[in-house]
Amino acid sequence: MRFILIFTTALILSGCYQSESSLKDSLIYCPESKALSFNPQISHDISSLDATTHQLYNRLVKRDPTTHNYVPDLATGWLLSADKLSYTFFLRQNVNFHQTDYFTPTRHFKADDVIFSLQRMLDQAHPFHSVNHGMGYYFFNHPFTNLIKDIVKIDDYTIKFILKKPDITLLDNLAAHYSVILSQEYAQQLIAHGEPDKIDFYPIGTGPYKFKSSNDAGITHYLNHAKFWGDKVSVNNIIFDVTENNTKRYAKLLTGECDIIANPAPSQLKQMSEKANILLSSEPTANILLWAFNSNKIPFTEKKIRQAFSKAVDQNNLLEAVFYQSATATSTLLNHQSWAYNRRSTDIPYKPQEALSTLQEMGYDFNKKITILTPVKNSLFNHSFHKIAELIQANLLKIGVESEILFLTQTELEKRLLSGKYDTYLTAVNGKINDPDSIFRPLLSCDSTVLEGNSSQWCSKEVQSLLNLTLSESNFTTRIKNYYKLQEIIQEERIYFPIAHVLRMDAFKINISGFWVDPFTGINFQHVKKTEAH
Amino acid sequence: MLNYLFRRLNLLLITALILSIIAFIISLWSNQARTVQDVNVFILYLDYMGNILQGQWGISLINQKSHMQNGLIAFSSTLELCLVALLTSVIIGIPLGIFSGIYRNGILDYTIMSIALIGLALPAFWLAIMLIMLPITFDMGLPVDGNISPIYDIPMITGFQLIDSLLASDLYNLAAFVDRLTHLILPSVVLSFFLTSEIIRLTRYSISQVMKSNYIKAANTKGLTVIQIVFRHVLKNALPPIIPQLRLQLNTIISIAMTVEIVFDAQGSGVWLLTSIKAGDYLALSAAVIIISGFILLSSIVIDILQMFISPTTRKMLYADK
Repeated sequence: MRFILIFTTALILSGCYQSESSLKDSLIYCPESKALSFNPQISHDISSLDATTHQLYNRLVKRDPTTHNYVPDLATGWLLSADKLSYTFFLRQNVNFHQTDYFTPTRHFKADDVIFSLQRMLDQAHPFHSVNHGMGYYFFNHPFTNLIKDIVKIDDYTIKFILKKPDITLLDNLAAHYSVILSQEYAQQLIAHGEPDKIDFYPIGTGPYKFKSSNDAGITHYLNHAKFWGDKVSVNNIIFDVTENNTKRYAKLLTGECDIIANPAPSQLKQMSEKANILLSSEPTANILLWAFNSNKIPFTEKKIRQAFSKAVDQNNLLEAVFYQSATATSTLLNHQSWAYNRRSTDIPYKPQEALSTLQEMGYDFNKKITILTPVKNSLFNHSFHKIAELIQANLLKIGVESEILFLTQTELEKRLLSGKYDTYLTAVNGKINDPDSIFRPLLSCDSTVLEGNSSQWCSKEVQSLLNLTLSESNFTTRIKNYYKLQEIIQEERIYFPIAHVLRMDAFKINISGFWVDPFTGINFQHVKKTEAH
Repeated sequence: MLNYLFRRLNLLLITALILSIIAFIISLWSNQARTVQDVNVFILYLDYMGNILQGQWGISLINQKSHMQNGLIAFSSTLELCLVALLTSVIIGIPLGIFSGIYRNGILDYTIMSIALIGLALPAFWLAIMLIMLPITFDMGLPVDGNISPIYDIPMITGFQLIDSLLASDLYNLAAFVDRLTHLILPSVVLSFFLTSEIIRLTRYSISQVMKSNYIKAANTKGLTVIQIVFRHVLKNALPPIIPQLRLQLNTIISIAMTVEIVFDAQGSGVWLLTSIKAGDYLALSAAVIIISGFILLSSIVIDILQMFISPTTRKMLYADK
């Protein structure tokens, strides 16, 4: 009887229930999917980056979120040699690694840790090079591998990077997510215990938060790193609570079960923006949604056919039907915020009549059914490949071209792409660093395989030499000129039909402030603040 | 009396044997590495039972913990939900059932029964999904996901989080307990929707049967008020027959609770089984058969025995049998 009484009172009391995340020193972030590992060196997906780069680790340099200049992080400064072949970095002193229940550091951060972390990617003989291998075919970042000849320790707090050839992307690479600094001492301890694979799942870094626990329900706890070298954080506990369903994520934001949610569904944006207690953050990213034409397969070997197909598809309609306000239309592969973006590039016109007459002129076989490959699994930045594919199909049918959409799982897709037996492929790619080369090279280089991004099987001498020239060019104006030219070529040849840049969206409660999203390295909670909800 | 107990236990043993065979077949089928032809199936079964009795149910592929531990933790969460829902439904359902039983075929009866019918007709998972939309359509702040907020890190002692959160009151005062309760509200509302309808139906029938009997008519002629009649004569006779009927609903409630848990992402046996099956960890299925059906079996016998103690009519039936 007493229990009944307690229960009924509790039911009544729930009316004055305080939302749980109103606790000021805990912040709950609800991403869409689980981190694959806790090391951004081996997991390049957005969820893993959000869960690791800024929270757990530091890099030697980072990019200032407002000025976009390189600022010191674990380095205090750097010098470039006169021959542009070596960079000397001076390291920060008295930096502590995380102390957790699985590791207690006995020394501060020093040059050995930098060499250990970066050599893990570069040196095939490194004891950790192959640890946790197979988390994706694009294991470590290739440009970085081809960039550095050697990393030399001068003393405990000075190191020197020796480059193979003058290359100005070193700083970009060092500010990238994969250049995080791990603890060498921890790695040695793991080897001594015979469990090296723990390095990526029980992480130790120097970042503002340390890893506490992670469970199979997708909940990860981070604790304030009390001996952090930088500014103290104001929220002590960060909790990642993975919620796959976007309606539920939105509901959880409203009930206070989440403070910040990632990727609200495009269809919810309007309603969210009307709520007084919810704010939206949108950040342009380097990702691009594109439709690749297989330039090795007839009829797409012909430039005019490719142009005609892109004229037949109504880009604005695609954007309105699928993305609402969460994406920007594009005509080139580069993000409009990029320094190399050619402002003179023209939009792709929607002219089905013109497309039809070109096809007829070229003697296109209208009985042929073209294939549109799409991945079954939607990527984080693209909520509905199938919807886009169907809209494209409908557009093509209007000019009398029949098409067949093939939804394939990852393994089937890879097999099919490698075989080259496809006409077109609908995909999304994401730049890893803030350098146009990281977008152009995978998509256009002859050395890049179809799995690395070259899904139009493109290879031309002109494009290849332009790519190589620009990478070693240190004159900024010449680089910009070259990239402008490259974009003109892409525009003219219509190797890809770029559809949209999808914005990175997050929705958060009005009492949260100070977090920011870096389009390349993920979300950063170091300066996040939380005030009382009511 | 002893004879009755013995008969019940006998039934338990036979059913348990059948269930253990089902569990064994599942585990055999999931363990494809072992070739069945080489070894006698009977010996394999004895082996299996030996392991089960020693508490070695196999290790989960998902979190490297024992299936028994995972299963018991998950099932206790489901059970907690069921109990809370049962309690709510009893509080709501019995008074309503009494009303419609007394005023049988009146307007009140029709209204209550129509609502109860809607409750029976609505699929529980659909209702659950609708309730998740509540915070979006109305500004209602009840939690829709999980067992308890991840903010509270509650040490597991009994597996029943309501009790555990009370025991952890030195860490969070009552905040964790209240949080757990609020997380239970929506799932238990869904579950009790079905259950309440069932209880109303049963109570109504039982009450109306009693109301027809001669001693009630006699009480009426004595000039007693309706309230006096209900409390003195009707309830004592009408309520005990409901209990065995409710027992039959037990497995329905548990299976509905499992689907509801999946919708609300509450970490109970529904989610546990679903994730295990998705991960190809089929041994969890046989563990679930043992735990869930074992529980239903045991509880139905306990209810039988309880019934024997509280209800004279059952006792009488027993002796008459003899």
